[in-house]
Amino acid sequence: MGKPSKAGIVSSLRLNPRGRKDLLLAVILLLPTVYILAKTFIYPIVQSLIWSFYKYNLMDGSDIEFVGLRNYTQMFGLHEFWISMRNTAFFTVFTVGFELLLGFFSALLLNQMFRGRLFFRAIIIVPWAMLTLVNGLMWNWIYQPGYGAMTVVLHKLHLLPAGSNPVWLSSSQGIMFFASIADIWKMTPYMTLLLLAGLQSLPASLYEAAVIDGAGFWKKIWHITVPQLMPAIIVAIVLRILGAFRVYDILTVFTGDPTTSVSYLTYNYAFRYFYLGRASAMAWISTIFILILIVIYIRMLKKNSELE
Amino acid sequence: MQRKFGKLFVTALLASVTLAGCSPAPQKPSQSTPAAGGADAKKNDAGGGSKTDTSGGGANALAWDKTDDPSLKSQTLTALVVDNDGTITKMMKRFTEDTGIPLNVVAVDYNSLYTKITTAALSNSSDIDLVEMDTIWAGQFLSGNIVEDLTNVVPQDYQKQFTQSSLSSVMYGGKLAAMPYFSSTKHFYWNKDLLKKAGYDAPPKTWTEFREVSKKLTHDGVYASGWSWKQAEGLNCDFVGMVYSFGGQFFDQNKNFNANSPGAVKALQYMSDLINVDKTVDPASLQWTEDDVKNAFEAGKIAMMSNWEGMYPELNDPSKSKVVGKTDVGLLPGEGNVVSASVTGSEGISIMKTSKHKQAALAFLKWMSSAKFQKPNFTERGTYPVLQSLYNDADVKKADETNTIDKILAQFQYGQNRPNGPGYVEWADILSAKVFEAIAGHQAPQAALDEAQKKIEEAIKKAK
Repeated sequence: MGKPSKAGIVSSLRLNPRGRKDLLLAVILLLPTVYILAKTFIYPIVQSLIWSFYKYNLMDGSDIEFVGLRNYTQMFGLHEFWISMRNTAFFTVFTVGFELLLGFFSALLLNQMFRGRLFFRAIIIVPWAMLTLVNGLMWNWIYQPGYGAMTVVLHKLHLLPAGSNPVWLSSSQGIMFFASIADIWKMTPYMTLLLLAGLQSLPASLYEAAVIDGAGFWKKIWHITVPQLMPAIIVAIVLRILGAFRVYDILTVFTGDPTTSVSYLTYNYAFRYFYLGRASAMAWISTIFILILIVIYIRMLKKNSELE
Repeated sequence: MQRKFGKLFVTALLASVTLAGCSPAPQKPSQSTPAAGGADAKKNDAGGGSKTDTSGGGANALAWDKTDDPSLKSQTLTALVVDNDGTITKMMKRFTEDTGIPLNVVAVDYNSLYTKITTAALSNSSDIDLVEMDTIWAGQFLSGNIVEDLTNVVPQDYQKQFTQSSLSSVMYGGKLAAMPYFSSTKHFYWNKDLLKKAGYDAPPKTWTEFREVSKKLTHDGVYASGWSWKQAEGLNCDFVGMVYSFGGQFFDQNKNFNANSPGAVKALQYMSDLINVDKTVDPASLQWTEDDVKNAFEAGKIAMMSNWEGMYPELNDPSKSKVVGKTDVGLLPGEGNVVSASVTGSEGISIMKTSKHKQAALAFLKWMSSAKFQKPNFTERGTYPVLQSLYNDADVKKADETNTIDKILAQFQYGQNRPNGPGYVEWADILSAKVFEAIAGHQAPQAALDEAQKKIEEAIKKAK
């Protein structure tokens, strides 16, 4: 696409009467949407940025004052904030890694021709279609000590000594690990679907050529599937990282411990303690982390499309 | 083309941001009324004071003796209450039959109640007139200007009819934040069968006895006790009761918050010993809420528990319970000079500051706190009344088939409130996190409470 010259812009504004009419109509039609977007989307973002420089405690009747960067320095100095960052990082890496691995192989499997393929393609969506909270409640039952499904199954398989009855969610490490498993179970289908869509666009001729050259299963995967699927993989990974980084709802089922994720901590600061200034600062810090990820993602996408 | 639209878009955006709100900088909640309520805001601001109490001004003044005004019948009230099975909604609808004032009940579960109230207050929405208020929110709701201060609205002699515990739980700093709604504390439930088998005819009276009894009760997959020790408010409830029974307190002489008093450390040490040293507590307690504890007790998996009232008649319902007729309820154990101590969970109903029907809302509070609601709420739903007189009422006695009302009432005398200051929700989160560390065996009780104290002090300092 060529860059329009300045004269081009000016002349395009000086459209013939009909063109001008169209433009006016377009603007009028757009305005309500723009207004609503501005009011519900842009305005709160700007507002939270401004709030983050204020001391703004809603519930103790104290005065509102401008405090500059104090909220930011307080958040950076907050032990809980770093613990929650670490837990979020663990959750993100662990879940996205496993979802990618499992999702990739399920996609490969579902890409094969076999009886009932359509059925399996359909039911694999079920965990993903479930409400996060419902999923959390279900896994909370599975993790109950004593009569919970996990303890019972492990006892039946003799993987757990008969007398032992561990409390799976008694430490924040345990909670992070088991919440991750619940998330992997739920979100792997999403990964599978994205990768399956990518797989279907791969030309069969590449594989035929590879088979003629004597490539085996793993070689085909490594030299054809993975590189060809890269754009889809990158999209899938980035979308999941963005999702996993914001994890909140599933954790609230398992624990009242807000340091298990940055979003949980931010939520508590905003809507339980009503430190709106500090919560805004916290939200902006994590937004910047996510922005960095997005920049990396766009770069990778660009590099990828240049390669093609 | 694209570029041009881009420019247009940006211009339109800037224009609409300007239109959307004058300034995104925060303003005092009592003054910042959204554009829609502009007229009202102006009226209130006319007083000129930056922090004046607007409730007393003009049309908003609440009059206790004018609740029968026929003009109120044209106003529809909306109440936000916890109602898990629809029975409360049905009971409250009788208000309309009695007074002719239409009432709309919005039922929520307890865990989303707090957020629903605070978001309604934050958005200055006048949709909700009445809200159920847990005792621990009293300070916050008053300081945060969320609810109407009823201190001078409800006459003194009317307030005197309430039981002391239900009245004190809706007060903060001598101010009345809500009208008492129901009475509640935690109680001690035990399985008579299991105790008898272990050689006991009576339940333990002190925590020392409790520990001895527990050791004998724990065998063959049955644990002596189970608790709601999941890291949540339920854990704080058990901890607070325990602290008071070990002679501890949450405030020092200067009214400063004190999490690590010697009594508190003793209490936490005791809790930690029960689960980590004696191992007489079902380890699943660390993942349990009050309902899970009840289920375990009904299944006969634990011999003793501390829980709220309202366990009967379910404990005697054969379709749900395996311990029909085998259980009893009484005083929670004490220690030393303390006969018993229990945390209160009484609640009230408040009038939202943003309500446009405050006078009608007051009429509801009057009706709700009278025998017209309180009596059937016990006889039909088993919820304990806030009116002292009802505890000697013939109908109430008759409805009490399990003969537990006197035992429940006895515990009310030993109720202790949680420290319900404006910062309670944050302190409580810190406290439950640290108490959990100790009972999960990750930290020594003294160290855990010292750290909790330090963090709460920091939180109080930062909030200033």
